[in-house]
Amino acid sequence: MNALELKQVAVPDRLRSLDLTLATGQLVGLIGPNGSGKSTLLEVAAGLLPTAGSVAWRGRPLKEIPIVERGRLAAWVPQEAHFGFGFSVESVVGQGRFAHGDDGRGVAEALARFDLTALAKRPVNRLSGGERQRVMLARALVVDPKLHFWDEPLAALDVKHALEVLVLAQQLTRTGATVFMSLHDLRLAHCLDRVVVLDQGALRADGPPEDVLSGELLQAVFGVRLRTAPGMILELP
Amino acid sequence: MTLATRQKWALPGSVTLLVAGVLASLATGDMRLSPAMIWAGITGTDELVSTVLWNIRLPRTLVAIEIGAALAASGVVMQAFFRNHLASPGLLGVSAGGSAGAVIAIGMGWAAWSYYLVPAAAVVGAMGATMAVVVLAKQGASTERLLLAGVALNALLGAVTSYVLSNFTLSYERNAQIIFWLLGGLEDRTWEHVMMAAPIALGAVLLWPLGRSMDLLSLGRNEAQSLGVDVKHLQRRMIILATVMTALATAVAGTVGFVGLVVPHIFRLLFGPEHQRLVPVSLIGGAAFVLFCDVFARSAGDLRLGIVTALVGGPFFLWMLRRAS
Repeated sequence: MNALELKQVAVPDRLRSLDLTLATGQLVGLIGPNGSGKSTLLEVAAGLLPTAGSVAWRGRPLKEIPIVERGRLAAWVPQEAHFGFGFSVESVVGQGRFAHGDDGRGVAEALARFDLTALAKRPVNRLSGGERQRVMLARALVVDPKLHFWDEPLAALDVKHALEVLVLAQQLTRTGATVFMSLHDLRLAHCLDRVVVLDQGALRADGPPEDVLSGELLQAVFGVRLRTAPGMILELP
Repeated sequence: MTLATRQKWALPGSVTLLVAGVLASLATGDMRLSPAMIWAGITGTDELVSTVLWNIRLPRTLVAIEIGAALAASGVVMQAFFRNHLASPGLLGVSAGGSAGAVIAIGMGWAAWSYYLVPAAAVVGAMGATMAVVVLAKQGASTERLLLAGVALNALLGAVTSYVLSNFTLSYERNAQIIFWLLGGLEDRTWEHVMMAAPIALGAVLLWPLGRSMDLLSLGRNEAQSLGVDVKHLQRRMIILATVMTALATAVAGTVGFVGLVVPHIFRLLFGPEHQRLVPVSLIGGAAFVLFCDVFARSAGDLRLGIVTALVGGPFFLWMLRRAS
């Protein structure tokens, strides 16, 4: 069964008609230049933006899945979190259990996993960008969904936390979840099972990172020249 | 005192304030009443006191409770809806819309057909203002945009109210009427007004269970939707409840400003932003706040209620603006 099926989805001025299918248990990266439609595609896939065509999760058309059930099946992490009110870190992470009847399960573990235990009582509007990003990821984790849609989850993170998020994403896929995330740092693409490339709202390439990320593609889509050279490799201990 | 301790005292504390406010409101006026006299009036053993209490003080006190609860709760809802601390029925022009609607109904003589056409017209006026703000400012709009939309609407609707009053009211009544609708007050409120605003209680009951969903919405529309909140449905309920409650409050007391700004803000600072607590505490605390402002207004030689709330709220608003920047 496919985790996600998009058929002829399109959003005027942002996304041209495209088809995309993600298999269950894959870590799929979405890349493309600024303004290429990555966030739009993720919002469409997460059922947050009306679209032409159809979206299906695990073989079920999204229209037939009640909103509260969607809150258990999928988690969405926004590119930037804006917190106008001073909810505590713990309470924002706990919101991930809303569709599960606010049972609070997994909150303490998620806080620990993202190094947030010491910040649990701190108001979210007094956190740094990276800390806020970790709060949103922790909240997605406690949803315990089958589908993860993360919009540039690594953008504000330091290198250690970025690597930890990638490791977490790999672990999630091993438990049968599917992770679809946009990212900019192509040096991390080797962690992905598959890469989807968007350019000017259209699907440009799709496949394993080693096949897709060729010099020609990077030149055509990003306007950069690829040169491989020995350099620093950072890994978790 | 830690936040957890304060949270434990939130509800008992606000109920105590409300009880104190009710007693002060019943006791204050041209005839000062001691607790013993209030008791004598309620039980009917003192006829004069009983008349004062049942015909003057009690309706005034109940209307104060209704409008205080309505305006404070509307403030909480609008702040969650627009995701902005400074959103409130007064600043956004929703109260002014309610006033304009009520005044048009009175000016056109509709009040003579049925007294309930006045609150109905206030609801229509307030709804019009709310829709205008929603279109102009949208959810998550910047403070500047939200406040500018409110300034424009307040000026426009205030002009409509003054125009209607100056054209349709007998001249000797005119100034008093204009002052009543633009500055709000609780003078001469009767049981009819209490009944007119009674649906506010129903609004409070319907609002109570929305608290948790409002927590999620106040952090973002997409965020809430992705976690399983039916955002469209929730927003519709929130905006209808806040607007109708504001409109009913305005229909019986004119434009009383700043309650929806000051009360939720103080309680958010004291007890945290969780709406499951903030909604009930603001309903009760808002009622207490208006009662004390009205008691002060009466003690200070019949000041207008709207002036007292503005004297408290104006500086508070400026302090908030400074803090926000």
